[in-house]
Amino acid sequence: MTARSALAGSRRLAEYLVIWVPLLLSAGHVVLFTAWTTWMSFTPSTLLPVNGWVGWRNYTSVLGTRNWQIAFDNLLLFGAGFVILTALTGLLLAILLDQRMRGENLLRSIFLYPMAVSFVVTGTVWSWLLNPGMGIQKLVNDWGWTGFRFDWLIDRDMAIWTIVIAGIWQSSGFAMALFLAGLRSVDGDLIKAAQIDGAGPIRTYTRVILPTLWPIAVAVLVILLQFAIKTFDLVRALTGGGPGLATQLPALVVYDFMFQRGHIGRGSAAAVLMLLTLLFVLVPYGGWKIYQQRRAARG
Amino acid sequence: MLSLQRRAMLAGSAGLLAAPSIARAQPVKPRLTAISQWSAGSDGAAITALGKKFEERGGVWQHSPVPGFTTDMMNKLRAQIMSGDPPACSQLKGPEIAAWSKIAPTVDLDAIVAAAGYEKVVSPDLARLHKPGGKWAALPLQVYRTNALYLSKRALDRAKADKLPTTWAEFNALAEKMKSGGVAHPVANGGARPDDGQKFEAALAGISPTAYRAAIMQLDAKALNGPEVRAAFAQVRKIADWMDPNTAAQHYSTHLAPFIAGDMGMMIQGGWAQGVLLNAGFKLDDFIIAPGPTDNGKPVFLLNADAFIFWQRKEADLQAGQKLMAELVMDPAIQTMYSQITGSIPVRSDVDLSGPGWSDGQRETASTLKGAIAADQAVLSLAHNMAQENGMTAAMIDVITEFVKNRAITPEQGAKRLAEAVEGAR
Repeated sequence: MTARSALAGSRRLAEYLVIWVPLLLSAGHVVLFTAWTTWMSFTPSTLLPVNGWVGWRNYTSVLGTRNWQIAFDNLLLFGAGFVILTALTGLLLAILLDQRMRGENLLRSIFLYPMAVSFVVTGTVWSWLLNPGMGIQKLVNDWGWTGFRFDWLIDRDMAIWTIVIAGIWQSSGFAMALFLAGLRSVDGDLIKAAQIDGAGPIRTYTRVILPTLWPIAVAVLVILLQFAIKTFDLVRALTGGGPGLATQLPALVVYDFMFQRGHIGRGSAAAVLMLLTLLFVLVPYGGWKIYQQRRAARG
Repeated sequence: MLSLQRRAMLAGSAGLLAAPSIARAQPVKPRLTAISQWSAGSDGAAITALGKKFEERGGVWQHSPVPGFTTDMMNKLRAQIMSGDPPACSQLKGPEIAAWSKIAPTVDLDAIVAAAGYEKVVSPDLARLHKPGGKWAALPLQVYRTNALYLSKRALDRAKADKLPTTWAEFNALAEKMKSGGVAHPVANGGARPDDGQKFEAALAGISPTAYRAAIMQLDAKALNGPEVRAAFAQVRKIADWMDPNTAAQHYSTHLAPFIAGDMGMMIQGGWAQGVLLNAGFKLDDFIIAPGPTDNGKPVFLLNADAFIFWQRKEADLQAGQKLMAELVMDPAIQTMYSQITGSIPVRSDVDLSGPGWSDGQRETASTLKGAIAADQAVLSLAHNMAQENGMTAAMIDVITEFVKNRAITPEQGAKRLAEAVEGAR
């Protein structure tokens, strides 16, 4: 064994020693609790966790409730609406900011600032703005347009979109920051080459710059999607899950079963169903990442 | 197993024999660890005053309020029970007392209750809730009525009404008169789930307390599918149409100002609303508190009661503290002090409410309760978790809140869905 490889070996040992503590903690937090929740979802636990076996009963009863069905439909609507519209808004803001304008730093801070506000505050403020009796609708009505209607907050079919609006306001700055970093990292020579070839600004963006943003776009979509799946406090503060049950989301249903209804078994089953939804997104993403890396290594 | 039990019994009896001698040798200072959600406002003030009385009697008062929803308090309680360190005493109410008393041992209060003669002065339906398995484990502290009718004096003037409504038909007529007299929304309402639940329970109990008892308290399938439940849903639809459609998820207290100003006419609320109104700077002359509508002429009372449950502890000072606390909670003077702060009425039916510390509303509430008990029309509130365990309550309120917010659901469909929800949650 040469001195060099011995040195490398001891360094590797040090690396392992440093990493095992956080590794163990993460394993404890993620794997053990996930395993425990999964086990709980098969037990007859009510107020306190107990051991026992009820098979799929908790799952069938959760899947049979209206709350879960509404929550899951809402998750599809809200997930798609929130993720796509937030990403598009963020991209648009990033492109506009990318025009080397004056005051860019100030504007960037302003757009990013909602990220620093907690979802509870966002939800509460938007619940006032969107309330037809005192918010935007009343303002416009008082200005003289008495026929103006903007009452999505109390409309069962549209209420879920108020959460999308508040979510976009909160998160588009974050998407903008990532896209902006991507735009700035595009090779200047490429853009010059496009300009020399006679491409206008729109063509330069659509044909040259945006295609290089692909990996960032995927990252933004995945991060936003897991925001969407775990959304809880925003709904709590904005609509309280209402009108009626119209804006239920899976995280609210989990909390409701576990802590409001005293059904830890069913709450755990709902939590596991949420995890499966998340895996539905993350597993293809992971596969895509591995595929990218392999291709890069080969290429 | 048997030998273990015998050993435990031996140890227990040895402890019992030893206990008096220890007590003589070293008098313990009663100490109470307690958790509740009462941290602020009149609730916080009331429990702080109770703690002062506890300290005056030589005790050490260790109350840890868990502000927020009742569920937050329950989560703390759950965590403490799981770690084997329950508080000596905690807030808990309704059927949850029986449910929770199954997961951790509670103190047998039978001797203390008998010594105080408390059972004779508590209404039987209420007493039953606090005696899981036939033994007193918890003590009710104060009573609220959830079907009180609050009327705005200015709205009554606008409607040129000279008489308070006593039946649902009169209520509906008055609401129409208010509407045509210029009251924008004859019914003031909050957007939270219990608000919707309260409208329904007040409607059904007012239409038929017998049907309420069978359908809501006993979950009788025939009663759930009966005509009274459909009629109650129809009445709730009327009430919903008179409410401000813009309420969304707002708290009912946001409407107190327009209510007093006469832009909203009536509220179906609990006794606590009196405390909230007075706290907001309004006067008792601005509004009237009346009994909820009842169609059979006899008073109907929807009961909601706060209580303390006592968890078994081995420490001598905590046990002494539990005894002292139980005595205080049952004491008529303490119940008077407590209710005068919060706006409730005492659990004890023998407390005299003619003194200056009581409002007319509280006096009327207490006499309605007496009348309702005599007519067997005092029933337990669904919306405030007195009639059913939380899981069943939530399933039923789901249906009611959807019905209130969705005009497309007919009363027939509402009743059908309620019966289905009950079946699903059983």
